[in-house]
Amino acid sequence: MIKLSGVSKEYRMNRRETVRALNRIDLTIEAGEFVALLGPSGCGKSTILHLLAGLEEPSTGSVKIHDRAPATLRAAHQLGVAFQDHALLPWRSVQSNLELPFQAAGIPIDHERIGHLIVLVGLQGFETARPRQLSGGMKQRVAIARALALNPQLLLLDEPFGALDAVTRRHLNHELQRIWLEQRSTTQQLTTVLVTHSVEEAAFLADRIIVLSGRPGRIARDFRVPFPRPHTVEHTRLEAFHRLCDELTLCLEPSSLSLNIPKINGLVEES
Amino acid sequence: MRLLRRVDLYGLFGLLLLLIVWQTIGSLKLAGPSIPSLADVWVVYREPWKLALLSRAAASTLLSALIGLSAGCVLGTAVAVLAHLVAPLRRGLDQLSVIVNAVPAVALAPILIVTVGRDWTPAMLAAIPVFFVIYITVSSGLRSASPRLMDVFRILGASRLTRLLFLEAPAALPALLGGMRISVTAAVVGAIVGEWFGASTGLGIVILNTMLNFQTQLMWAAVLLAASASLTAYGILGACENYVRRRFS
Repeated sequence: MIKLSGVSKEYRMNRRETVRALNRIDLTIEAGEFVALLGPSGCGKSTILHLLAGLEEPSTGSVKIHDRAPATLRAAHQLGVAFQDHALLPWRSVQSNLELPFQAAGIPIDHERIGHLIVLVGLQGFETARPRQLSGGMKQRVAIARALALNPQLLLLDEPFGALDAVTRRHLNHELQRIWLEQRSTTQQLTTVLVTHSVEEAAFLADRIIVLSGRPGRIARDFRVPFPRPHTVEHTRLEAFHRLCDELTLCLEPSSLSLNIPKINGLVEES
Repeated sequence: MRLLRRVDLYGLFGLLLLLIVWQTIGSLKLAGPSIPSLADVWVVYREPWKLALLSRAAASTLLSALIGLSAGCVLGTAVAVLAHLVAPLRRGLDQLSVIVNAVPAVALAPILIVTVGRDWTPAMLAAIPVFFVIYITVSSGLRSASPRLMDVFRILGASRLTRLLFLEAPAALPALLGGMRISVTAAVVGAIVGEWFGASTGLGIVILNTMLNFQTQLMWAAVLLAASASLTAYGILGACENYVRRRFS
């Protein structure tokens, strides 16, 4: 279980000014949940991810993962991350890039696991290819496989398909769900936090969508996605899916926060 | 690739022009006997005893340069890694390397003669400029890995040593090769200058003796040999650097 309580984050711009990126965030994510953080750029959603990864410390408040600091999870090699830019080692092949998590953890390389991961993300035949020889979508597949290599408890996805074209992106969203469901069936819990500014991506992938408002970032809305897994193309054609997307889109409008948006029937909203 | 070929042609054209100008000055005796023509210098290489003398001398000089290059690389890399790992040392080591480099080699040579001896002085004088260049390039190379990749290593819970071995060292490899390419010519210069202080053999000795005895043809032959050797090394290391740069970035 992940618990953010009263988390604020400020960045010092110069001697006099500080910018507040996050303002008193209270958020609890249950183990095994797939949560999407949705918001306009600059709303601090990546900051939340950095806090969860223990790359940054909150200015006030606390971040706890299973009642312990995020750094503990990192030290136990229980954290997987995929960024928008693949962040693969350019001098290593696909196979070798997937060996990195094992080497970083100082444990023997599990070649069987790597072989399984390559099949899982559909990159058979590209084991010896270097990142520069792969397309953008393939690089992201490798990045996701690397994030899953050690069967992490917590998976953080920072706009993993943000730099891809719309068609590839939609395809990879389906792939990601398949990979995620397969991975979840082998490990008990795979808590996942996805940062995105795409409404459809959030509605398609997540169990729960947290909408953040911008500058300073705070939680504006908290939706639960009412569709059973696996989410299919048919779901994306349902009236309810479109209504969810419409409402999410409205939430992202700069003016929406002051407006009183009428609740739409059929959607479960929390808080 | 097309660009590379054009640059090569351009360079070749320049070299050809230089040789033509040299040949013209030499054969018309525009500079008197001090600049012999290229053809006259070429003749030197065809005389067996002179060729043997030059080969022996060149072998000795290049060995000194090679020892200096290797020692400078190893030491420069080691000190750069130390400064990289132990941040408080960085400032001090930066200053030390600048001071070592600021001391004129010619002023340092007598001290080396009395400490390491005549035959090791060339290698030492070759090592000093190499050390400095390698220290600078490797230091910046170790810091050249992208912050994103640093994040990945931190998130994976990698140790400091793992990060050095698997991220920072490979990222610094092109810089190391670049440093070697830049400093190899300085290593040859250092070796030749080092020989002037009384080494038993070497191109530096040949150049010095032929200058004093006014054997200009042999002198030019020795200089041309030294220049070709250092240019060749520069070219080879440049090719290695290109390969590594393509492979590691």
